[in-house]
Amino acid sequence: MTKTKLLELIAQHTREILPGLESHQFVAADRLADLGANSVDRAEIAMLVQESLSISIPRVELFGPKNIGELADLFLQKLDAA
Amino acid sequence: MLPKAAITGVGVIASTGQGKAAFTAALLEGKHAFGVMQRPGRQRESSYIGAEIGEIKFPSGITQQTLRASSLSAQAALAVLQEAWIEARLSDVDPRRIGLIVGGSNVQQRELVQNHEAYRDRPAFLRPTYGLSFMDSDLCGFCTAQFGIRGLAYTVGGASASGQLAIVQAVQAVLMKQVDICIALGALMDLSHWECRGLRALGAMGSDRFGDDPSLACRPFDRDHDGFIFGECCGAVVIESVESSERRGVKHYATLRGWGIVMDGNRNPDPSLEGETQAIQNALEVAELSPAQIDYVNPHGTGSVAGDETELKALHSCGLTAPYLNATKSLIGHGLSAAGTVEVIATLLQMQAGRLHPTRNLQNPIDSTLNWVGDKSIDHPIENALTLSMGFGGINTALCWQHHYQA
Repeated sequence: MTKTKLLELIAQHTREILPGLESHQFVAADRLADLGANSVDRAEIAMLVQESLSISIPRVELFGPKNIGELADLFLQKLDAA
Repeated sequence: MLPKAAITGVGVIASTGQGKAAFTAALLEGKHAFGVMQRPGRQRESSYIGAEIGEIKFPSGITQQTLRASSLSAQAALAVLQEAWIEARLSDVDPRRIGLIVGGSNVQQRELVQNHEAYRDRPAFLRPTYGLSFMDSDLCGFCTAQFGIRGLAYTVGGASASGQLAIVQAVQAVLMKQVDICIALGALMDLSHWECRGLRALGAMGSDRFGDDPSLACRPFDRDHDGFIFGECCGAVVIESVESSERRGVKHYATLRGWGIVMDGNRNPDPSLEGETQAIQNALEVAELSPAQIDYVNPHGTGSVAGDETELKALHSCGLTAPYLNATKSLIGHGLSAAGTVEVIATLLQMQAGRLHPTRNLQNPIDSTLNWVGDKSIDHPIENALTLSMGFGGINTALCWQHHYQA
């Protein structure tokens, strides 16, 4: 999977949780918190992405990434290791 | 006499309508919405009869995001709180002086079962929100966040008496001056097929005897009753002192003159004549009213054989044979946790209308000596009313309401 595809996947699930972002153009530097996702929303988004990728990542490891680009990198790294 | 707490706002939803106007009209016309229940998760190798609410209308400003993350119980709460909030003009009040008591425990069982079933084969991907929503107190968090409530908020449980307990608890919070205004919410009890089965197995929920014509199944106080029929509903009442309502210039529906809460010392579902009688007598005593001064009784009246009989015996033993009575559950079913609140609301709305709603399916009353409202509504002014709710585990509650405030 490419990073672009992963960013699209994150954007898709973010829109699912935050329908208000329907027309937002997502970029790697976007921070979910700045887009209005609270901690529960962020956990929900991360879980939906994990399910789409069929991988399970401990929640604590997901606290690291600072924006959706870094989040995509983490998922790519996990996919490679899987 | 106790200081008086008044009801200054009401919000309600039931299978027969959303909002006071629709709910009252449906009550007085004797409408019902009983059928084989259709909501996902309600049936499994079964065809339980009940009354389900239709699509909930939400105030503008409620986002899709909020609705996506909320249960049916939370959505019903949102709708009724909004209605009560506007009527009592709570936007003008310091939110630190507003509280919320949620009546009911384990009210979101269907949502939980739906989650368990959806994630049974993929538990690793369970929605994180489940970690919040499995607790009833999530309703407190959800509602206080939506309305900006900054006073107290917590849940109280007493099975089918929860709705009246929430009112008593809210009244106490106001009389103790913990807050100036406290909202009591009778939470929508969202049963899954598991609870339906348990209640049926216990002999509490009515049978499929009227499966061919579900409109006949719910028949409190009729000789052909054989258990309660479930009905989704939710109600909220705004409670404040009479002084506060007068200072704020908001009208009140009625004041709570007295109440009684009595346990039977009995874990089972069986009713107790002694417990019910004592609860009613305590309420009348605190209210300083004689049985002759009560013009209307809104009974618990579920349609349970033992429950209906015991309740009428309790009315006899308290000398309450003269007041009119009907059965709100004959129209909307048994809301369990919500029943007490919604039936208090039905009482207040009948007081306001000066009219009593009919009792459906009361063809052969088990006690024909009492003053029943039959299949037609009747004009009747109510000055003092008694509302009764009983719950499994031997809890009996009686509330005494006065229409026109007298100091």
